[in-house]
Amino acid sequence: MDIDWATTIINPKELIHISRGDHKVIYKYLIQFKELIPQRIDSLEKSLEAGNRKSVRQILHQMSPQLQFFGIKNIVSPIRRLEHEYETIPMVELNTLVDSILIKLNLAIEDVDLTLKKNF
Amino acid sequence: MTSEKINCLIIDDDPFIRELLQDKLNQYFPEVHLLSTACSGREGLQKIASLQPELIFLDVEMADMTGFEMLAQLSDITFQTIFITSYSHYAIKAIRFNALDYLLKPLDLGELKKAINRYKKHINIRPHKENLVLALRNMSIKNIADHMLILKTQDGDLKLVIKDIIHIEGDRNYSYIYLKNGSKKLVSKTLSDLEELLDSKGFYRCHRSHILNREHIINYSKGTIVELSNTINVPVSRRKKKQFSEWYENNRIKNS
Repeated sequence: MDIDWATTIINPKELIHISRGDHKVIYKYLIQFKELIPQRIDSLEKSLEAGNRKSVRQILHQMSPQLQFFGIKNIVSPIRRLEHEYETIPMVELNTLVDSILIKLNLAIEDVDLTLKKNF
Repeated sequence: MTSEKINCLIIDDDPFIRELLQDKLNQYFPEVHLLSTACSGREGLQKIASLQPELIFLDVEMADMTGFEMLAQLSDITFQTIFITSYSHYAIKAIRFNALDYLLKPLDLGELKKAINRYKKHINIRPHKENLVLALRNMSIKNIADHMLILKTQDGDLKLVIKDIIHIEGDRNYSYIYLKNGSKKLVSKTLSDLEELLDSKGFYRCHRSHILNREHIINYSKGTIVELSNTINVPVSRRKKKQFSEWYENNRIKNS
């Protein structure tokens, strides 16, 4: 049976490709996303609150490959901008950029939750 | 398991990357045998010692240490390394500078195939490991002029000390490197490739066809010609004259 991908922000193309139709593999990556991303959102929010630019960059840098893999729309370019400009970008702008990333991440978590509920 | 299998180890602190690479290796590379994975530099060191891998996939930036710091702790490097790193990481430059292999996360399958093929091709070639040793050496030397640049040529790796390069002349897809000892080496890299590699190492592209090393400028008097230590005069393009003058003044002050 095919997976019902009722996603709004995630593009599961890479996930389907690597799983080669194996639902166990898809499940493994979805669960990993569900576990890892909220932890990282939490760290990101704490770093932002503390005004720790370096830590914000590190967390985004580490998250970036997984977000690319899940094909989250329009998330790579703000992350790359922050990776390049994290030391110099005004704090207000940094906050706005991270907030926009957080909104997308929360939508992605909803997508993953819904896919898990519908299919597993 | 047959002896033809490549025994490898994955060292990365991101569980997603460990899973992904493991799945790709299992699915597409039957010739690769994954011995184990490690989630930190410290665990990586332990597993290298106990499992003796032939190939390691090594994350550049881990929480406890960088991949380079991990390698520097080894007394002997008996394996080959494919670095894994994210886009725009500062270390990419150091990796390319020493002609080392790397993969960008999240690990494109085509690039992984190419990297494994390169490994198979160079499996018994000692210089590949030497490149790694030289990269570690570069990182420990503060004076950039003493750093070693490694460029791949048809005859193998060309190793050059930065301060020995006088200037570089581009010729379409190739470049001629003029050295202090009077020799001239042809490399299959464009001038733009070399400009990027040598950026912030005391070199300046003063003309469409020329990059020069500040260490070898003998005379420049704000015109369109620079006199170099090998008695060759290199032109400065009109478009770059102002920028070049500023660069020259700034760097000359620092040198004096």
